[in-house]
Parts: sequence; structure tokens; C-alpha cells
Amino acid sequence: MSAEALLQVRDLVKHFDVGGGLFGARGTVRAVDGVSFEIPRGETLGLVGESGCGKTTTGRCILQLERPTGGSIAFEGEELTALSDNELRRVRRQMQVIFQDPYSSLNPRMSIGQIIEEPLFVHGIVKGGAERAARVRRLLEQVGLLPQHGRRYPHQLSGGQRQRVGIARALAMEPSLVVCDEPVSALDVSIQAQIINLLEDLQSELGLTYLFVAHDLSVVRHISDRVAVMYLGKIVEITDRKVLYDEPLHPYTKALLSAVPIPDPEIEAHRERIVLSGEVPSPLQPPSGCVFHPRCPIAVARCSQEIPTLREIKTAHWAACHLAS
Amino acid sequence: MPPLLAVRGLQTQFLTRGGVVRAVDEVSWDVREGETVALVGESGCGKSVSALSIMRLVAEPAGRIVGGQILFKGRDLLTLTEEEMRQVRGREIAMIFQEPMTSLNPVLTIGRQLTEGLEVHLGMTPGQARDRAVELLGLVGVPDPGRRLAQYPHQFSGGMRQRMMIAMALACRPALILADEPTTALDVTIQAQILELMKNLSREFGVAMMMITHNLGVVARYADRVNVMYAGRIIEQGTARELYANPRHPYTLGLLHSVPRLDEPRRARLDPIEGQPPDLTRLPRGCAFAPRCAFRVERCGEEIPPLRQLDDEGRVSACWEAEHLPGGGPRSPVATASAGRR
Repeated sequence: MSAEALLQVRDLVKHFDVGGGLFGARGTVRAVDGVSFEIPRGETLGLVGESGCGKTTTGRCILQLERPTGGSIAFEGEELTALSDNELRRVRRQMQVIFQDPYSSLNPRMSIGQIIEEPLFVHGIVKGGAERAARVRRLLEQVGLLPQHGRRYPHQLSGGQRQRVGIARALAMEPSLVVCDEPVSALDVSIQAQIINLLEDLQSELGLTYLFVAHDLSVVRHISDRVAVMYLGKIVEITDRKVLYDEPLHPYTKALLSAVPIPDPEIEAHRERIVLSGEVPSPLQPPSGCVFHPRCPIAVARCSQEIPTLREIKTAHWAACHLAS
Repeated sequence: MPPLLAVRGLQTQFLTRGGVVRAVDEVSWDVREGETVALVGESGCGKSVSALSIMRLVAEPAGRIVGGQILFKGRDLLTLTEEEMRQVRGREIAMIFQEPMTSLNPVLTIGRQLTEGLEVHLGMTPGQARDRAVELLGLVGVPDPGRRLAQYPHQFSGGMRQRMMIAMALACRPALILADEPTTALDVTIQAQILELMKNLSREFGVAMMMITHNLGVVARYADRVNVMYAGRIIEQGTARELYANPRHPYTLGLLHSVPRLDEPRRARLDPIEGQPPDLTRLPRGCAFAPRCAFRVERCGEEIPPLRQLDDEGRVSACWEAEHLPGGGPRSPVATASAGRR
């Protein structure tokens, strides 16, 4: 393991057993199926993919909100999967999460100030009331809110302001790792850029490490140092941001990039698109061989028989495709 | 030739506990035969209410159309009886919603939902309607349509449901389809499939389309002309090419600036539009965008700028300073520098 990695995930597996009731047969959803990556301290790893690819479950497993079925998660060198619930409380202070929908993740009956100071109570971080109030003021300021916002309630704030509250609450614990799960996708376009800039400022100010889970490839490109692309529970490609966007190797990555429309009619008028046929198969019955082969425009016979391993095709550029070179 | 649809001075209001919300405030726009027009804006700007107003589906009594005309093929839809309006809905103007699951009936088969309109509007026999339904599902790319007709919406994936919605919209060969965020709930690769399908079908059948979206990329790819809405009003109109190349309203300029683009080098920092979207019950005096505007002058806080024509090419903007905005495309260094400094 490299010395500077804050988080190291190895062969992470999370299966959910479903069904067995009145309808349908019992089965296993292979939500995350052998995922490995690491995030050096102070960096951002973008995790992209479509709904159901396992990106959110990966984030939840890292936070131990879901106990993994297999694999290892090392945070600052400590193996999390072996910890008891009690021991996890200590580690959780350093790992926080920002959710997609700031509205459903804030208690409507608590004032903004109470929401932000609650974790300080729970973990007994600051003692006196005056100290706590000062801390809340400081956190509000850090995320671009005013002291008087502390007395308001979630419904009195706009979506962007609520997301700022979600960020302040995460920062209250002084975490080193923040899992950002689609933090801007519920926000208006004009507000998204505000929140992205804020996340970047906080990262450089506080030395935060981010796992940035999102489906918007343009946003992920902007904020990430490295990017991993997931499909049906597996990472199909992972490398530096610039390399991934400039020279994608995996046909799925290429199709994803090609599917994003560019906000410029002149460019769109001449742009060729790779439109994938078919839909993402069910993770209950993933296809044989390469899970992408039924939709892959370049698949050959081998792809339906043999599972491609994630291999280093160029220096520091991994892809799971038999045909990549 | 008069436009297929001409909305004139449309006003739709909602009575809320916070006061009267002017969700659509004297809005005018056209859709011509066969073209795709976009209505762009952020949540709460009035774009969906505009579409619902055209269909006369605004939820009463809280919501009410209080003024204006909706001229469709020369007839004002606002003067029709409910019975006459029912002949327009689905038959002449069809609608596609963002979340197909909430607009499909979960306890009726796909086949029943597709054939209903055909039997009611076109007077087909059940047998004819069924054959037509199979044909329609095939047209929108639903595999094995004969078998799928007997299934229920929950047995369809999100993308397949949206295909089904498109099939329903096309069923009676309408002249106009209103598509309200048709792909927002879908994954990127499925979004691409559905949009390409809609584009091809609208061309093939010569259907005009009003596309309501917040996605500037989708607009750039699919729209011929664009209307930008903010706080219940249209603040800029133009052809897609003109509007993107040379936005004439600070809000449009700001929107185009704030999104990261895959085709350009990564910028060190994004340029957001500062501030928050307005509260429609407490709109500022003057221009609703003024509190967030980098090009604000004194007049903006006092007088609402009217939508006015800027040149012979049909550029229309509701900004006092429209002629003095930095030009030469949204990404010109001039625009960025002045926006940052003011």
C-alpha cells in the first residue's frame, strides 16, 4: 500500500439478497462486485456511472453504512471492516457524507444552528454553549452563510443554501474524508457552480479528501484528480482525469462521454454520437463475460465468455476491456 | 403563414399562503409547424406551468389562467369548452412528462393505455387500435411489442416507459408535442437514445415540439429556437445558434458561463451566478434578475425591462443593457473579466 493513501479499497463486494416473498424468486443483487481503488490524502476521486452501477453503494460501504459482503477498506491504515460498531463511532468522525437531496437529509423541525451543532453534541467535541455557538458561526461563515441563517429552518432556505448547511454539518466533525454523493445534481444550474467552487475552496483550505460520486461527467471532470467509471458493480476504467477525458480506453467510457451534449449548437450540429443500444442489464442476472458486452459496439466472441480484468494498459491507466490497447 | 401555436400575454397565477405567485407573467412565444422550440429555465421559473396552461391543466382553484391568449391553429384554446378542449388534448396537442411512472396508470396494461386514445379520438375498433398500438411500440423501439402490450408499466424500465409515453403522444398524430423534461429522470446513455428517437420521429412525422428543459446541452443539440425564462417571464429569445453564440441577457450569459464543458480545457474555477433564485411571492421591484446581475445599472432596480427586439434577426431580450453586454460569444475573455469585476 502506498504510504500517502488516506483510503484504500480492495476487492470490495456488496451483495443484497432480494425476493423470496409472494412475488418473484429469491436472488442476489451484485451491487458492488470486486471494486478496488485508493485515494491519496487531499485528492478527489470521481466515481461516475449510471443509476444502479453501484457507485452510491460503494460510498456507503466505505462509510460502513452498509457492511460489505467482502473485501477490505483501509482508512488511514486501519481496516474498517473488522471494527465493531462502537469502534466505528471514533472513525466516523473523520469520514463524513454530503447527500444529494439536502431537503430530505435535514430535520425540518430543527433550526439550521441546531442541525450543525448536533454532531458536536453527539460526539462531545466542544463543551460549553458559548464555544459551540462560536463554532456554529464559524461553520456558517465557512460555507458562505450568514450568522442569522442559524436561526432559520430548512424550509426557509433555497436548495443551494440547504446544501451549504449539509456541507457545514459534515465539516463540523473536522473530517479528513468526505463522501460527496451527487452533491449538486438536485440543484439548479446557476447554483451548481457555487457549490462546486465552495467544495474546492474547502478542500484546499482544510486539506480534505473527497470521494465524489456523480453521474454528470462534466462536473466530475471539473472537480476530480482521478476518475473511476463504474458499470454494473465493476470499475471498467480508472486513471487521471485528464487522461480519462482525453484518451478514454473503455468503449463504455467513450459512449458516456459521447452522450453528453455540449452546450453549443455549432458543435452539436457536426458532432457524431455513439448511441448505445439496449439498457443496463439487471444486476440480479449480470451478463456472462464482460458485463458490458451486450451493449458494446465493438464486442467480439471472447467478450461474452471471459470476464476482462482491470489491467494497466498504459502507465497508471487501467481498463477492463479485452480489446483495449 | 401564422404560427401553429401563438401564446400571447399568457398570465397564470397561483394563490398561496405567501401571497399571489405570478408563475407565468405575460409570456408570449410561438411554435411554427414542424420546428422544435425550447423553453429553458431553472426550477420555479414557470416553464412547466406554461405547458400545463396550454393544455389547460393548471390545478384549480389554487392556480388560474388570468390573462392572455393561446392561439392554436388560429383558435384561442382559452375560449374552448371543456368538451372541445378534450378533443385537443392528446389528439392535436400531446404531452410527454418527466416521470413517466407518475403519468401512466399502474393498474392498466400498456396496451389498454395506448389503445384508449385511438378508440376515443380516432374511433378505431379495438382490433384496429391494437394493430396500431403494436406498430407504435415498434416505431419507438420497444422490442417484442406484441408481447409487451399485455404488460403493466412497472414491468417496463425507465427508458422503456418513456418510449411508451412517446408512443402514446404520437398515437393520434398530433401537430404539437409538449415535452416537459422528457429525459431528466433518465441515465445519460438512455437520455441520448430517447432524444435521438424524439428528434427522428418529429422529423419523420413533421410534428412540432416544445421542449421544456433546464439542460443547456440538450437545447443546443435539439432546438431550432430558444426561449429563456426567469421568474415567470421570458427574458431572452432567439435562434439556438444566435443565442448561444451571442447571449443578450446577463442571465443567459451567466448560465452558459457557469457550466463546465467537456469540449473546453478545464477551467481553474467556475463562474457561478451569485445569489439565490428569487422568491416569486416577493419579487424585487424592477428586473427580477437585478439582485444577481453583474451588469446592473440604476434603472434595473426601478423599472421592469420589457422584452424588446434588438435587431432584424429576431433577437429579443428583456434587459436595459442588452446592447452593452460583452459580445463575441459566451466564453470571450472580455465577458469573463467584466463579469468578475463589476
